[in-house]
Amino acid sequence: MDNPKKHIRRYWLMLLVMLAGCMLLQAQPAPSREYQVKAVFLFNFTQFVEWPASAFDSVEAPLVIGVLGKNPFGTYLEQTVSGETVNGRPITVQYCKNVQEAQSCHIVFMNTDDAKKTKQIIHALKGKDILTVSDAPEFARLGGMIRLFKQVNKIRLQVNLDASKESELVLSSKLLKLADIYEGSKTN
Amino acid sequence: MLFQHLPIRKKLLRIILLINGIVLFITGVTFFMYEYYSFRKATKEKLGTIGKIISANSTAALAFDAADDATETLAALRTEPHIAAACLYDSTGKAFASYRAASYTDSLPGKPLRDGYYFTKLNLRGFQPVLLDDKRLGTLYLQYNMSVMYERMGSYALIIAVVLLLSFVLAYILVRFLKKSISVPILSLADTANIIHGRKDYTVRAVKWGNDEVGTLTDAFNQMLDQIHHQDVQLREFNQQLEQKVKERTAQLELANKELESFSYTVSHDLRAPLRAIVGFTSILEEDYTSKLDDEARRITAVIKGNTHKMARLIDDLLAFSRLGRQEITKAPVDMEAMVKETTHNLASQTDTSKVKWTIHPLPVVPANANMIQQAWVNLISNAVKYSANHATPEIEIGSFKHDGQVVFFIKDNGVGFDSQYKDKLFKVFQRLHRSDEFEGTGIGLALVEKIVVRQGGSVWAESEINKGACFYFSLPY
Repeated sequence: MDNPKKHIRRYWLMLLVMLAGCMLLQAQPAPSREYQVKAVFLFNFTQFVEWPASAFDSVEAPLVIGVLGKNPFGTYLEQTVSGETVNGRPITVQYCKNVQEAQSCHIVFMNTDDAKKTKQIIHALKGKDILTVSDAPEFARLGGMIRLFKQVNKIRLQVNLDASKESELVLSSKLLKLADIYEGSKTN
Repeated sequence: MLFQHLPIRKKLLRIILLINGIVLFITGVTFFMYEYYSFRKATKEKLGTIGKIISANSTAALAFDAADDATETLAALRTEPHIAAACLYDSTGKAFASYRAASYTDSLPGKPLRDGYYFTKLNLRGFQPVLLDDKRLGTLYLQYNMSVMYERMGSYALIIAVVLLLSFVLAYILVRFLKKSISVPILSLADTANIIHGRKDYTVRAVKWGNDEVGTLTDAFNQMLDQIHHQDVQLREFNQQLEQKVKERTAQLELANKELESFSYTVSHDLRAPLRAIVGFTSILEEDYTSKLDDEARRITAVIKGNTHKMARLIDDLLAFSRLGRQEITKAPVDMEAMVKETTHNLASQTDTSKVKWTIHPLPVVPANANMIQQAWVNLISNAVKYSANHATPEIEIGSFKHDGQVVFFIKDNGVGFDSQYKDKLFKVFQRLHRSDEFEGTGIGLALVEKIVVRQGGSVWAESEINKGACFYFSLPY
């Protein structure tokens, strides 16, 4: 027979752990206005990009947005996609520690300024029907699909069409209409 | 001028114009209503479609906060000149991009209101959601200028007015032609009727123009004329026959009358001769044989003489009566008052009138035959004296009054009078209401009076009650 006092002590411990977790979450800094917009954009990409059926394990399988590198969104991205669906699929957020983990995502936001590392990751994700997104300055040139950049206080899109065409992803013409098309890679 | 007094041509014109007007009005109104509602409906649908297209093209712009792209999308509305303004609002209700036609000067709604389009006085405006897979990205506002509809209505009204005018002109021309087939036959019928009325010529016939109602009327009219003509001819024949008959009868009557008069004259005249012999010989008996006759014989002789005198007077009266029928009547103004006074004076010398109280009112001068009318006065006044003689205080009143264009004279007494149920018999020859031993007389006097008065264009009548006096009237034209 367990000592009831032991039980109570265990509950106390659990409560403390939960409180600590909450405090930890609270402790994460709120994302800047810029990253809030970028989080919404990441979600909006799910509406304007078509993935082939082969990119999903099943019909109900969730669409996964991965964040590779340091998470700049806090919990904002999760809040944005919570409850939203794309063609009946729920949307989930996955924070990836490495490229291997990122390979199971459908959208991967790369938060890194390291061009060499970025290029490696892009190369690793190539042909996997993964929409690669980043706000790295050289992203499109490095073969990334969509680069987010700031222009007159607004976040704009730069699309590397060749990169997207190498995958089976279909970017909506509406999306392309608003985006700057990067055409540098051909000449490179 | 009342409709019923208008000529048929104008009636026709008005009826046609009225029907025309009503039909066009109803058509126009129906057309207008239909156009109005269908145009509104179509415009609403059109605006909804445009809105959907714009919405679909604005989803990415809203999703990625690309206001200039949205502005560009909205600018495409320029191709539809009746769209006055458009505005996109993001999911927070903030204006995101807008479009205004060159003519649009008003401000745009600050925030989206309830979804749906509605009509204002001159515009169709409203909001519709911008959806992406059932997710609302924002709201689109569109405003459509409905003036085009009113312009169209205006041109329809103009068209209807022109059609109305044209139809009126056509109706007028049509009536001009119709006049020949409708009012002309009727007018000709009326003319015929007037001719017949004017000339009294029932042989005239109306001309038939067609087999319509007017034709039927013309036929009936002509049939009626046939009948009238037929009856007219018959009537004339009857009339002639009648006149002929009257002539014949009159001639026969005149002849008979003449024969009768000459007969009675002859009889009366011839009766006098033996009567004179009787009178003569009776006088001889009285004068020459008085001594030879006893008292009884003398008395009988006197009775014979008296009756002979009576008979002589009767014959005289009859002669006067029959002579009256043969006399020509010449009229001259007669002073009736003088004549009456003279008559009463003369009467006083023949009979005792001292008891009588005379009242003679002023009498007029009238045109009459003096000799004859004097005879009438004599007979009437002597009658009055005679029949009031038994009264203690006989009163006789003579006067006149005017009535119905004639002068009526009256002689009123307070004598024995007569039973008024016999008043028609009074003026017949030999009709007496009293016994001759009570009041002497021949029974010719009043008959003579009537004949005299009637021959001068007047009439005679009397009123009385037994023992309450009598009043005799006779009238003369003047």
